[in-house]
Amino acid sequence: NSPAPLPERAIYGFALFLGSWFGFILYLIWAYVPETWLFSLGLTYWPQKYWAVALPAYLLVAIGIGYILLFGINMMSTAPLNSTDTITDNYAKKQQQKKFQEDAIPALRDIPISEVNRMFFLPEK
Amino acid sequence: EERWYRSASGAPLALRRRQHSASCRELALRCPRLRLRSLSAATSAAWLAAYGLFLLTENSTVLSAAIIITMIGLIMYLHFVKIDQESLLVMGSLGIQVTSSYASGKESTTFIEMSQVQDVVINEAIHMQKVIYYLCILLQDPGNPQGVSEVVPLFQSSKPRLDCLIEVYKSCQEILEQRKMAPQSS
Repeated sequence: NSPAPLPERAIYGFALFLGSWFGFILYLIWAYVPETWLFSLGLTYWPQKYWAVALPAYLLVAIGIGYILLFGINMMSTAPLNSTDTITDNYAKKQQQKKFQEDAIPALRDIPISEVNRMFFLPEK
Repeated sequence: EERWYRSASGAPLALRRRQHSASCRELALRCPRLRLRSLSAATSAAWLAAYGLFLLTENSTVLSAAIIITMIGLIMYLHFVKIDQESLLVMGSLGIQVTSSYASGKESTTFIEMSQVQDVVINEAIHMQKVIYYLCILLQDPGNPQGVSEVVPLFQSSKPRLDCLIEVYKSCQEILEQRKMAPQSS
């Protein structure tokens, strides 16, 4: 799974390069060549040229709204100040206590908030 | 005694501690009063906007509507939004009482029985693109003695900073420790 260059990756890259150039030239032809010329070539069922302008406009507005939407979704999903999600969650409630071993580093666990507060804010004399 | 601290937004707050007895303490946090300059700035801005609308629409009811709206808005702000003082009364073995008094004189009180209170802690949480410290009461879960059923945040509108919260926390813990040491009577 290394990101090193491989022959297959080179082929995929070149195919995508050619495909994207082809798509771009096709888009320019669709947008700029007059309809009568396209009809005379027999291409009568292409979408309206209105969409050659409308789709990029839609895309840019969607990207702009996406920034605002992401911001808003983040704000909505932060837990309010009065919910228990700020203190504990399912994993912390169901954790099992490992046995205490002498001279070993204590096992990793979620320490209850009362204990943390006592350690931080009540100085032991 | 009274001491001065700062709120999270920088406004000065006054914390007053009173010891009524060995197991009863009251902590009152006074918020800054409504300033005359911000009140007159808001009123002038609203009335200038209304005058601009009046010049545009040539309708004089816009002016009287603006006056009435600013009056009613000010009264509702003083009665429902602007908190003057928030106080915490901790009575060992009885309960905790939280009072908020508004600028119009209204007081709203909440009392929590001591058997429901598991602990009073300082918690950190994300609030509007900031991480703030706030004091909260943890209510006990009736089924599970270690569990927390509800979190009641305190001092929500004054939002004191950590130094003030540590003082309040230490005062509350001195009273709450007494109930662990004397569990003879329920």
